[in-house]
Amino acid sequence: MKTIIKSIWLKVLFFIITLNQFISAAGESDYPANYYDKVALFLIFVIIVGFLSLIYFESKIKIAKAKEPSLFWQKLRHILTRSVPVEREHELILVDHNYDGIKELDSRIPPWFLWLFYGTIIFSVIYMLHYHVLGTGPSMEEEYKQEVKLAEIKRAELMRSGAMINEENVTLLTEPNFLESGKQIFIANCAACHAADGGGLVGPNLTDEYWIHGGGIKNVFKVVKYGVVNKGMIAWQNMLNPRQIQEVASYVISLQGTKPAKPKAPEGEIWKEQ
Amino acid sequence: MELERFSYDNKIVRNFAYATILWGVVGMVVGLLIAFQLFIPELSFSIPYLTFGRIRPLHTNAVIFAFVGNAIFMGVYYSLPRLLKTQIFSKTLSSIHFWGWQLIIVAAAITLPLGITTSKEYSELEWPIDIAITLVWVAFGINMIGTIIKRRESHIFVAIWFYIATWVTVAILHIVNSLEIPVTFLKSYSLYAGVQDALVQWWYGHNAVAFFLTTSYLGLMYYYLPKAANRPVYSYKLSILHFWTLIFIYIWAGPHHLLYTALPDWAQSLGTVFSVMLIAPSWGGMINGLLTLRGAWDRVRQDPVLKFMVVAVTAYGMATFEGPTLSLKNVNAIAHYTDWVIAHVHIGALGWNGFLTFGILYWLIPKLWRTDLYSKKLANVHFWIGFLGIVFYALPMWFSGITQALMWKQFDNFGVLQYPNFLETVLQIIPMYIIRGIAGAFYVTGVILMVYNLIKTIKKGSLLEEEFAEAPPLKPFKDEFRKGLRHRWLEGKPIYFTIASLVVVLIGGIIEFVPMFLVKSNVPTIASVKPYTPLELQGRDIYIREACNSCHSQLVRPFRSETERYGEYSKAGEYVYDHPFLWGSKRSGPDLHRIGGKYPNSWHYLHMENPRSTSPGSTMPPYPWLLTNDLDNSTLEAKINALRKIGVPYPEGYEKIALAELNKQAEQITLDLQKNGVPAEPQKEIIALIAYLQRLGTDIKANKQTASK
Repeated sequence: MKTIIKSIWLKVLFFIITLNQFISAAGESDYPANYYDKVALFLIFVIIVGFLSLIYFESKIKIAKAKEPSLFWQKLRHILTRSVPVEREHELILVDHNYDGIKELDSRIPPWFLWLFYGTIIFSVIYMLHYHVLGTGPSMEEEYKQEVKLAEIKRAELMRSGAMINEENVTLLTEPNFLESGKQIFIANCAACHAADGGGLVGPNLTDEYWIHGGGIKNVFKVVKYGVVNKGMIAWQNMLNPRQIQEVASYVISLQGTKPAKPKAPEGEIWKEQ
Repeated sequence: MELERFSYDNKIVRNFAYATILWGVVGMVVGLLIAFQLFIPELSFSIPYLTFGRIRPLHTNAVIFAFVGNAIFMGVYYSLPRLLKTQIFSKTLSSIHFWGWQLIIVAAAITLPLGITTSKEYSELEWPIDIAITLVWVAFGINMIGTIIKRRESHIFVAIWFYIATWVTVAILHIVNSLEIPVTFLKSYSLYAGVQDALVQWWYGHNAVAFFLTTSYLGLMYYYLPKAANRPVYSYKLSILHFWTLIFIYIWAGPHHLLYTALPDWAQSLGTVFSVMLIAPSWGGMINGLLTLRGAWDRVRQDPVLKFMVVAVTAYGMATFEGPTLSLKNVNAIAHYTDWVIAHVHIGALGWNGFLTFGILYWLIPKLWRTDLYSKKLANVHFWIGFLGIVFYALPMWFSGITQALMWKQFDNFGVLQYPNFLETVLQIIPMYIIRGIAGAFYVTGVILMVYNLIKTIKKGSLLEEEFAEAPPLKPFKDEFRKGLRHRWLEGKPIYFTIASLVVVLIGGIIEFVPMFLVKSNVPTIASVKPYTPLELQGRDIYIREACNSCHSQLVRPFRSETERYGEYSKAGEYVYDHPFLWGSKRSGPDLHRIGGKYPNSWHYLHMENPRSTSPGSTMPPYPWLLTNDLDNSTLEAKINALRKIGVPYPEGYEKIALAELNKQAEQITLDLQKNGVPAEPQKEIIALIAYLQRLGTDIKANKQTASK
């Protein structure tokens, strides 16, 4: 029995940790830098402590003290289980049931079990009525449409408040910290096709003065945002936020004139800032 | 009264016990390997036969059908004759059953690494093996029913009810799910397509868990637990109630694997509510098991056999509560496609099936060899190290599942995905994969200790091959058929009992399938969705061979976080030519349903050659052989013909020009690749795979263009 109790405790502990995780992830903020290492360490710690305590309890065999539970608990227990004590079990033995020495008792089905069963049946009936008969629950498609609508409202607000940078009002960033974060975005997302130093692989060389779709911050921002789908350039507007696109576009422009290891031949035309 | 003498055949029990142990070790070691591959992709050694996609099905098939399968047969061949006081119906059938089953396992262990599979969700075996399974299963059935008919015990015990239900239902599941049209000896296509195939497969998949891993093991529990504890079964009434409700409700619950997919809403809801209603019937088994131990808890502390069994039954209770929880759609929205589901199945597999098997082995082997267990201490060590393995396994997987799902869904202040790069969400959970790998190693270590312990025990004793017994012959009996005793009456009529359980399990399946297949509105057609070109079809078969669907889903769910990341959510009408469906259920890599046109051909080429060249840090194994293998077009004609027979509208005579069409398309792709500096050749497999990937999920876009014109 101890084993079970302990494993339930482990579950509870885990549940608390999970809850914690939910709360910290529900907000808009990112995880702290080494958050995950801490969590992993904590988890291992919990598991080891739990395990050691299990062994400890296992090795300590206590003589069970016959402690009478209070009358209230006895009554409640009886209402919930209707069980007959082990000592009076012989009254319940089904005499004609004997299979290879295995006997069966005629114990009552525990009432709590039946309530649980009836409860789930009632839940199911209500569930089906709610979603498929009364039409009060949204279908999958309606849920999705609602989600998109809310996002559009939020986006429109951002537009109005001017927080949303777009290809019309974007400006070139030159501060080193912005370029540094642009560089990180570039390495994570763009290096696969344009090489880590911008020299080009599948995608064109970004370090020369030739541009296929026009140079300058506004054009580069536009190409990153909307992509050039028929040429394989992905539209990044759903994956990078406008601020990030501005940073990475600025970083790309800052690459002009650098010397990549294996530069791809120039494509497009020379771009002159008007 | 005259007593009849007869004997129990212990040799067949011994054979199945050996097979259980052998395949158990094999299956678990392969599982350990793939667990490590998930964070050390180099462990596939660039050998096709060792890639994750090909050996994951080897792991699942080995532990389910080889380890647990043999354990079921071991348990049944020991308990069934003893519960019925008779010898087994036919020793010849027993032998056919044993050797047939082992041959099937060997065939699976050879074909799966070779990539020979009908795919669907679990990489199903090809049609000749399916037929062999059917035959062996029938042999087992005849042997079991025959033994029951020849019994000397008037009524059948609850364990036998579960054996009967297992046999009947697995037979139906296997046959319905394996209906396929052969192309060659080792290639076939599922008869069903898309959404319908998914529904059939998950009806099968879910109920394979229900009737192969659960009802059979409940049967074993009802025999071995009271035997080992020497206690009466707690409640006969509860046995009746939970048996019938369990088998009736279980069969409906399959669609809970398809929540928020292209399956119609009504079918999804049925999956949810029947899963919720399943809590009580499942717990009925757990309660009856645990309460059977009333008055024996002091011995649980001492006896490793009972310890294993108690944890097994508890794990069963936990898993059957977690299952319905995962079936709620808001929970499923988070858990689906993640490691949470992996944690869930392993609570069942390692806890319920594994630990019950170990408990039975520790009890049975000394009995058969008429001796004591070599070392109780070692068995206790096995218990603890195995228990630690389960906990260490489940915790990090729960954790990584929830973490990854929340990262997938996270939007930033601008309403843009916080983690647009899928890889970032994979790298985040690598530490959890490492812990899980170590936990697996613990569990396997425990099993190896058991093997040593059992070998020593066997060496110490001597096997009693024929165990003689005596019992009076079966007297003619007549039960009253009146209220309160009707079930008792049925227990005396095993054939009626079998028919009754057949009817009960058929109901759910029929009510879900018939409308899905007959009512058109369940799969709304999309005019622009066309059959695959010959090259794309060949590419799809490579995708099946490499089991890309082990790690990549092909179903975008209707959530904004998914449509932003992947593109429009998937519609039922898009899959009407997908024989078989390849939706997948785990995203170790990103969804691929909208991959078509997203990257240039050359990206795919370089990515398949070495995934880390285009995606630094990727955990995907490289597939260099696709670049060097020539595409095998010898069966192309047969493939087109076979698909036309099952409803794919290739025009008459198309099979004759298919090869020319294929070459034309391959030429185009090769030219494009060469233009981008990739030294591609048109006859290689990679070209077909690229063609398929570039086609995926694009038909619906054509529909939009025509609509907007």
